[in-house]
Amino acid sequence: MLQVISVPPIPLFHADDVTAEFSKTRHHPDVQDDLDSDMDVDDEYGTGLGVGSSSRAGKNITSPGEVVTSAKEFMRGHGTYTEGDNVLSTVAGTIERVNKLVSVRSVRQRYNPEKGDLVIGRVIEVVQQRWKVDTNARQDAILALSSVNLPGGVQRRKVETDALKMREFLAEGDLLVAEVQSVENAPQLHTRSLRYGKLRNGLLLTVPPSLIRRLKSHFHTLPPPCGPLGVDVIMGVNGYIWVSVSVGERNNAAVEGFVDAEGVYSDVNDDISQSSRLAISQVANLIMLFARYSIPLSDTLLSDAYAWCRDNGLTKSGQMMDKEMEKRCLTEITGMDVREEL
Amino acid sequence: MASSSRVEILNEGGLRVDGRRPYELRSVSMTFSPQAHADGSATMQQGLTTVTVSVFGPREPRSRANAIHDRANLVVEVGVAGWSQPGVGQRNRGDKRLTEVGATIRQTFEPVIMSHLYPRSEISIYVQVLGSDGGILPTAINATTLALIDAGVAMTDYITSLSVGLHLTQPLLDLSSPEESDIPYLVVASLPGTGKVTLATLETRIHVDRFEEMLAVGVEGCKILKAEMEGEVKKRTGTMVERMKLNALPDRAGGMKDSDRDILMT
Amino acid sequence: MPRDIPVPTINRSFVQAALEKGHRLDGRRPLERRRLLIQFPDPEETSVSGLGRVEVSLGKTKVLARVSAELTNPRSDRPFEGLLSITSEIGPLAGEAFHGEGRTTEEEVILTRLLEKAIRRSEAVDREALCVVAGEKVWHIKLHIHFLSSDGNLIDAGCLAGMTALRHFRRPEVERLDRDDGMAAIWKVYPTDERAPVPLSIHHTPLCVTFAYLEGNLLLLDPTSQESQIASGTLTLTLNAQRELCVLSKAGGNPLGVEELMKVVTLGVDVVREMTSEMESALKADEAVRIVDVR
Repeated sequence: MLQVISVPPIPLFHADDVTAEFSKTRHHPDVQDDLDSDMDVDDEYGTGLGVGSSSRAGKNITSPGEVVTSAKEFMRGHGTYTEGDNVLSTVAGTIERVNKLVSVRSVRQRYNPEKGDLVIGRVIEVVQQRWKVDTNARQDAILALSSVNLPGGVQRRKVETDALKMREFLAEGDLLVAEVQSVENAPQLHTRSLRYGKLRNGLLLTVPPSLIRRLKSHFHTLPPPCGPLGVDVIMGVNGYIWVSVSVGERNNAAVEGFVDAEGVYSDVNDDISQSSRLAISQVANLIMLFARYSIPLSDTLLSDAYAWCRDNGLTKSGQMMDKEMEKRCLTEITGMDVREEL
Repeated sequence: MASSSRVEILNEGGLRVDGRRPYELRSVSMTFSPQAHADGSATMQQGLTTVTVSVFGPREPRSRANAIHDRANLVVEVGVAGWSQPGVGQRNRGDKRLTEVGATIRQTFEPVIMSHLYPRSEISIYVQVLGSDGGILPTAINATTLALIDAGVAMTDYITSLSVGLHLTQPLLDLSSPEESDIPYLVVASLPGTGKVTLATLETRIHVDRFEEMLAVGVEGCKILKAEMEGEVKKRTGTMVERMKLNALPDRAGGMKDSDRDILMT
Repeated sequence: MPRDIPVPTINRSFVQAALEKGHRLDGRRPLERRRLLIQFPDPEETSVSGLGRVEVSLGKTKVLARVSAELTNPRSDRPFEGLLSITSEIGPLAGEAFHGEGRTTEEEVILTRLLEKAIRRSEAVDREALCVVAGEKVWHIKLHIHFLSSDGNLIDAGCLAGMTALRHFRRPEVERLDRDDGMAAIWKVYPTDERAPVPLSIHHTPLCVTFAYLEGNLLLLDPTSQESQIASGTLTLTLNAQRELCVLSKAGGNPLGVEELMKVVTLGVDVVREMTSEMESALKADEAVRIVDVR
């Protein structure tokens, strides 16, 4: 299984990257009186992103240390702290107000597990009756032996020997998809559904978690002609994405009631055809493209993008897009002017 | 410690070696997320001094022993690129100095990061000096502030830092390397919101009577620098927010609106 | 390696509460120093090694400083200057938390660096006076600081011990003897009973003053090790009697306004003045008893 490390680094100086521009020299107020921090900073930086008013820092954008509101009228939520009579922000992000609750949502954050989240994780340690799983969160998650489906049937009773054979089910380095059962101390996972469990036949991508929304379903399929069998995409809320050969039956296992008892914990990949691999790689590249431009992901976006690629003759040739083409693709699909990577 | 060449720190026109006025800062440039695989990163350039900082975390501590039950553990490591300045490779007291710089940065940020929000985790800060022309510590601190904001780590305020030198009786702001080796100076870092000083270090003799003025000038300069940094941060945040709005799932059957989620705040 | 266990919450809150009322565990007031004890070796010992050795105690913190001198070649880029090296050793003898050979903790590095900055970088010792023959022979003064026992505030004690030892020390007289047979000249170092040793040329005497901050901006002078562990930050000033700040190190801890910081600096000036006079009287007392000159 391949693992692609998130987003490639951008060069320090980009020809059209506005933030790399050298700003004018600053003057101490004694020397230059009109420098005032209340001044409209946007104007000083010349051209914005060229998207008109939407490029200006909106009124509800804040950064650490800034006063958000008065503490007398509002209760404070995440991303804020109180000092005296004021509520101040602790992160850079948008101010959100719900009735009397004020909070600041940070644009970028480490994944914070919540009950019910679907996550993809990697086993890093096997300890007594539990596995420790890395989910790209603040702490490692725990998958208890009692929370997994054991081969031989969903309702099999746990036997003494299972505890000793834990590595035969999941060993260090294995990838799995699971759901967060609870978050006390360390997050607890479970794989008590036939859709969850060990992952194979695909590749893992890492994107910033803020680009993945919490949805009703995180299992998406791009049907053929995307690959001869279709391509499955599992978007873990923690930013890990699994792109694999579509195993149509897998999602319908619960319906058909058929479970390959031994196969669930098998380590062996099936034979994957060349065109399947091509399709998987293309979908993976598209996902990374969206991630580079900080565009939130969804399955419709992906299928639109794939369709665009097909229309532009890229899928057959397997050619990579250059920067210009990338921007065109994104602009056409999202309807927004995307000029730079973030 | 005689300087190698008798450079005129301040000429009769009141201009410094590089043509700046006493209270003029060097040109500043900031880049966000240069290291995309880190949780947050930033590169800060003040004049020719360039420092890149990568932040990882909060994440599981690498050694169980380092986990603190009620707060996050802060780890800072500093590296200097061999090409960053002439003659660096020859010095081997480099190690201790770098450990000290790392410890200084850690102690400076510890009270400002809201570490009680991340118990039992570790926040790792890796500082890499790419270009060195005076003011490594201040630029490293500024870059660290930006990287922490980029990573979404909660802080009570920005920390901005500058060096302040003294030529005869005239304080000078933001020293370059030739100035640093010639005149006594101090490095100050402050929380611009309150104007309080969170770091003050000096290693060269300064008379107590001059000290107060230098501190005050430094703190003012830090406020100006913060305004610059805040402008960039907000601009970038604004752009990212715009992008996030794209695709705001709406009315698709089964899709929850983000606004619905907000009410479920814990 | 056993680590220092974190201070239990109950101890912490007790100490904090007591401090808010102005009491410290050892009965001192917040801005009161511990008793300073400066001891020189037995005056009977007049050899060179008896000079430049001093033991300083600040309460239970004990530091031993030794100065020795050696003739050597100067650095190629500084032919007119002598050499001064400062080694500070802190091992498990001082406390469990300190590691033995090989593993230096961050705290030790900070301590060593601070001592170096205070004594070496501030140019307390005139290095040009250590030059015997420019480009050929200079004195290499070695200052060893051994921390024998730690109860907080190693920096102040260490710096005081180091400076006192340097003031106490006298280097031997040296003369160049040319040989008739054309071989290289010999440098003769005279033992102290033949020619009187010479004191070092000291420009100024920097001394360190350490304060600890607790919650609520409570300021403590000369913190013990328990107080340092509870403190949210420490601030070390190095000043000399001419009211010059040689080294200032405030990292983290409570943020201070400029005026608050200046108040501390003013306090520091007074403390240094007191410590300097105590040091001077101790040196004078020893000088009266010790016979250094040739009969």
